[in-house]
Amino acid sequence: MKKESQRWWLLLIVMMVSGVVLMVIFSHNQTLYRRPIGQVLATKQLSRQKTSDEFHNEDRLTSQSLKVRLMNGRYRGRQLTIANHYTDSGAMDQHYKVGDQLFLSQLHRNRHGRLSANISDLKRDEVLAFLVWLTIALLLLMMRWTGLRVLLSLIANALLFIIAIELDQAWQGGHVLAIFSGLAILFTIISLLLILGPTKRMLATSIATLAGTFLALGISWLVFSWTHERGIHYESMLYVTQVQRPLFLAETLLGSLGAVMDVSSDIVATLFQFSQVNPQADFKKLFLAGREVGKSVMGPLVNVLFMIFMAVTYTSALLLLRNGNSWGYTFSMSMSLGTAQSLISGIGIVLAIPVASAMMALLLTRGDAGHVND
Amino acid sequence: MSTISLLGLILLILMVLVGGRQGWTAFWSLLLNFCFLFLALVLVAIHFPPLAVTIFSGVVILAITIFMGRNDLAVTVNAYYASLLVFAILLLLIILVEHFARVQGFGLEDTDALEGMSLQIGLSFQSITVVVTSLSILGAIAEAAMSIAAGMATMLDADPQISRQDLLTSGLVIGRQIMGTALNTLFFGFFGGFLALFIWFAGLHYSFGTIINDKIFVNELLIVLISFIGVLLTVPVTAVMIAWRHQMKKHVND
Repeated sequence: MKKESQRWWLLLIVMMVSGVVLMVIFSHNQTLYRRPIGQVLATKQLSRQKTSDEFHNEDRLTSQSLKVRLMNGRYRGRQLTIANHYTDSGAMDQHYKVGDQLFLSQLHRNRHGRLSANISDLKRDEVLAFLVWLTIALLLLMMRWTGLRVLLSLIANALLFIIAIELDQAWQGGHVLAIFSGLAILFTIISLLLILGPTKRMLATSIATLAGTFLALGISWLVFSWTHERGIHYESMLYVTQVQRPLFLAETLLGSLGAVMDVSSDIVATLFQFSQVNPQADFKKLFLAGREVGKSVMGPLVNVLFMIFMAVTYTSALLLLRNGNSWGYTFSMSMSLGTAQSLISGIGIVLAIPVASAMMALLLTRGDAGHVND
Repeated sequence: MSTISLLGLILLILMVLVGGRQGWTAFWSLLLNFCFLFLALVLVAIHFPPLAVTIFSGVVILAITIFMGRNDLAVTVNAYYASLLVFAILLLLIILVEHFARVQGFGLEDTDALEGMSLQIGLSFQSITVVVTSLSILGAIAEAAMSIAAGMATMLDADPQISRQDLLTSGLVIGRQIMGTALNTLFFGFFGGFLALFIWFAGLHYSFGTIINDKIFVNELLIVLISFIGVLLTVPVTAVMIAWRHQMKKHVND
């Protein structure tokens, strides 16, 4: 026990030191960027005026001039003045303050030797690095080896995800659903291998997960054909560069995968324990016990995905509402896809319950239950 | 019949078939959550203070998810208190992080979708980001708190005289068991939804440096990380709270 706590303190110190090192690196990494970066030294407000649009939204438009010192590149150390405009809402503009670091574009020197540039965006990598560090530190300090395994599985999945996107690019989006279906299978196997290890439990969980997910996808495909996708507005999908329907289904497939895995592994783990306590339990008893577990987790799990899918639509929905659109139009143009996604994922989660229960019950009652203990 | 209503109907039938009465309630919790989410939208749109709307919706949506998700007061009451506490801590973290990251509103990648719309709507998109981030993690906190509370309730049933320390340890052990799959749920939930954005990045050959400073990407990743932190914090908070309440009850009984 004492050794254990010593190791914990050691880990804490390592995480603290690495956090400080990381923050120093990310606050001094300007020279690693090819894009010019400048830091705001002083700001001056030039003008401020009220604006009003055709929907009677009132806002304020402010002009400011920023004194900026370049932090990298050819003109490092030199200063220039840049004008900036921002609104109080700040949908696509930004109020800059002293100390902010900005990416600049079109930096050049004019005939009189003065520098000029436009602001393209804020430098945000430091905040991101801090939060990545905080998450990893909490994960390792609280969960230790489990945390490390979870971290590895997340990293492996992220890498796979990147490879799959490159593959999709190479095939110019022609096989998006095929690629990401294949990826879903890999994701499931890798995540469950890292979380459960190479056991029969892992195999049972994988099969139940994939069955639930793909059944839901099949059902939604049928529903889409029957209803001719009435009320589904693909044109409201954001950032789309490919054919929309397969992309939407691929998004839904991946989005629900984790939750379906969650419910399947809950059922498998519980039934496994249940059969150890009641070795004589028959198929029906085991199946019902699995259903009991599924019942209590399905509601919360469907809600987890629902909140994730719906919250991301919130900002555009708000903009639509304030642009004088009705509730109905706002819903269909911003929230309908998220709703469909939540429902399809919900179907996957619920379907995984009988599949996982039946499979585990079969596995445990085949007579050689002893072999499942590996 | 529209696609969404048919999908909804199928989900309702499946939930009732598999979950019986509890499935029925779970389906209604989904609908109610939708109503409160939409209410939060409308309230912010008519200039209610976003922070107040966040707190109100958080308290209500957590209650709906937890109390309608499970039919066992020994589990739900503890899970609700714990998730409220975690929600409060996270709200502070979110406000702090969003203050520095400034990822509000829309990015350059959204330009097409915004054509013809007025962006000067007189609402602070900065506070709207706080609303969005807070709302998107509610389900995850509720689910984690319920899993831990349910596991600890089973321990308490088995041995009502269990010591506070043992109860606490068992809660942390359960936390380790659920962590892998809980974080996976979030990882896929978020990254699945942003597949299109990542394909966009790849198609336009964004550099690594551009991506890690991109408004939309940073916003998205911050939500993922904050929800991870939320689930991680839920484990000790729930375990400590239940162990403490158990101790109090024992004192009263003695």
